[in-house]
Amino acid sequence: MTDELGALTTIFTEFYYWITVVLMFLIHVGFCMYEVGASRYKHHQHTLMKNTMLIPLVTVTWFLFGWWIYWAFPTGPGLAPSIMNESAALITDDSAFSSKWYLPNSELMAVNLGDHISGVFWAAFLLFSWTAASIVSGAVIERITTFAFGILAIAIGSVFWSIDAAWGWHFDGWMLKILGYHDAYASGVIHAVAGGFALGVLAVLGPRIGKFSSSGEPRNIGPRNPWLVTVGLFLIYTGFWGFYAACNIPIYDLGPEYGMEGVTYFTATTIYVTPTTLSGITMNFLMSLSGGLLAGYVVSKGDPFWTYSSGLAGIICASAGNDLYHPIQSLIIGMIGVVIAYKMHYWVERRFKIDDAVGAVAVHGYAGFAGLVICGFVLNGYPSSGYSVGAMWDGTTYAAINPLGMFIGAIIMFFVLGMIPGYIIARVLNGIGKLRIPREVELAGLDYQIMEEAKEDEKTVASSST
Amino acid sequence: MATVSNWIDHLNKPAEEVVGAIYPGVGSEGILVLILAVIWIGWTVVSSKQESDKLSKLARKRPSSNAWKSNITDG
Repeated sequence: MTDELGALTTIFTEFYYWITVVLMFLIHVGFCMYEVGASRYKHHQHTLMKNTMLIPLVTVTWFLFGWWIYWAFPTGPGLAPSIMNESAALITDDSAFSSKWYLPNSELMAVNLGDHISGVFWAAFLLFSWTAASIVSGAVIERITTFAFGILAIAIGSVFWSIDAAWGWHFDGWMLKILGYHDAYASGVIHAVAGGFALGVLAVLGPRIGKFSSSGEPRNIGPRNPWLVTVGLFLIYTGFWGFYAACNIPIYDLGPEYGMEGVTYFTATTIYVTPTTLSGITMNFLMSLSGGLLAGYVVSKGDPFWTYSSGLAGIICASAGNDLYHPIQSLIIGMIGVVIAYKMHYWVERRFKIDDAVGAVAVHGYAGFAGLVICGFVLNGYPSSGYSVGAMWDGTTYAAINPLGMFIGAIIMFFVLGMIPGYIIARVLNGIGKLRIPREVELAGLDYQIMEEAKEDEKTVASSST
Repeated sequence: MATVSNWIDHLNKPAEEVVGAIYPGVGSEGILVLILAVIWIGWTVVSSKQESDKLSKLARKRPSSNAWKSNITDG
C-alpha cells in the first residue's frame, strides 16, 4: 500500500471486520451459557464440551473446504452464469473472487502483504458457521454423542450453510438472479437453514427420556439455571451486533462498481453490495429486538425463557430486510415472527413428538422462514442487486425481490439445505449406532463419571490434615 | 525456511515484489494442508473411540437415574 487514502481505507476495513469477529465470539459464549443453563445438572459438563468442540472442528473444515465452497458455488452450479466469467460452472478459474484463491493451499490463506482482507473476511464467515452449528447444538442436548454432533456440526457449519451462502448470500448468487432472493442479515442463510437442519436431526434422534408421557403428552423440562440462560441470551444479543456489522461492507464506492461513469458514491453496503447505513440497521436491530420481547412476553404469558428467546426471534425474523425496513416495520415484523415461532413450536411438539430442548427450531427456523416470506411482501419490487440492467452476461437484470421468489427461497433454506440433509445424515449416524448415547447413560447423566471421580477426589482432600 | 531475512531490503523492492506471502516455508502449503487433514481425521477417530469406551463402561455400571445426586461435591 503506497497511497495514504487507499491504505487507510484498507486498514479501516481490516480492523472493522476484526472487531466484528471479536464481538461475534460472544455469540458462542452466549450459546454455551444458554445451553448449560437449559440442561440438567447431570449433563452440564458434557453439554458445554459438545458445543465447545465445534469450534475447532468447524474451524479446521472451514479452512479446508468450507470457505472454498462459498466462492465456488454461486452459480449452483449449472443454474445461472456468473457475472464474473459468464460461465454457469463452478467458479474455479482465474477470475476475481474465484474459489481458486481460497483453496487451503493458497498463499492468500495466510499472512500475505498483498491481502489485508481475506483473513478477516474468512474469520467473519467462520463465526457465522459456528453460529449455524451452535443453533443445532442446543436442540439436541442431553442425548446425542459428541462424535455424531461433530459430524453434524461440520455438515451444517462447513458445507450446507456455505452452499446456501453461495446461492443466496453472494453478490453473484443464482438465487438473487432467478428468484430475487434478499436476506441481508441472514434470516434464512443462517437461521432458517440451521433451524431446519436441527429439525431433521431431531426427527431421527428422538426426545429426551421422560419428555413425553406414555399417552404422548409433552412434559416441560424447563431451564435449570435461568440466570445462566438470561446472561447467555444477553451475550447472544450482544454478539448479534457484531454479526450485523459483519454482514456489511463498511465503505464502498458504488459509482464505478455499478459502471456509472463519473459518479462517486461512498457508502456502507450489504453483502450484496447494495447501499444501506450502519446507522439505520442499528435502529432496526433494536426495534426488532424490542418487538420480539414485547410479543414474547405476552404470547408466553411472561415466561422468562420464551421472552428472552423471543427477543432473538424478533431480530431473526426482521433480519432479511433490516437493511431497508423502517424501524417500526422491523418492530412489527419481529412481533409477527415471535407469535409464529411460539405457536409452531408447541404445535410441532404435540403433533410430531419433537423435543427441541431450547426452542432452537422455533427461534431460528420458523422465525427465519417467516422473516423471508414477510420480506418478499414488504420489499416487493426492490432490486435484489445493484448489478442491474445491462450488467449481466446476457443483458438481462437480476430479478427484483418478490413474494414468490422469497417463499421458494425460504423452502430452499429450511427444507432443501436444512431439514433434508440433517435428516439423512442423522439417519446414517443412527444406522451405524453412533447417534444417540445409551439409555443407561442418559438416565445416569453424561457427567456421572466425572462427578463420581470428583467426589472421590474431594473425599481425599477433605480427609487430609496437611 | 525464512521467506524474509531483511525488512529494509524487502520493502525496497518494487511494489509487486513486496506484496505476497511472508510465512516460513512458502511453497510447502500442500504438505501443511495434508498434515491438517491427518490431524483432523486422526482426532476424530481417536476421540470417537474414547467416547465409545466411556459410554459403554458407564452403561455397564447402570447407575440409577438418581445416583448422580450422591456425587455432588460442595466442599
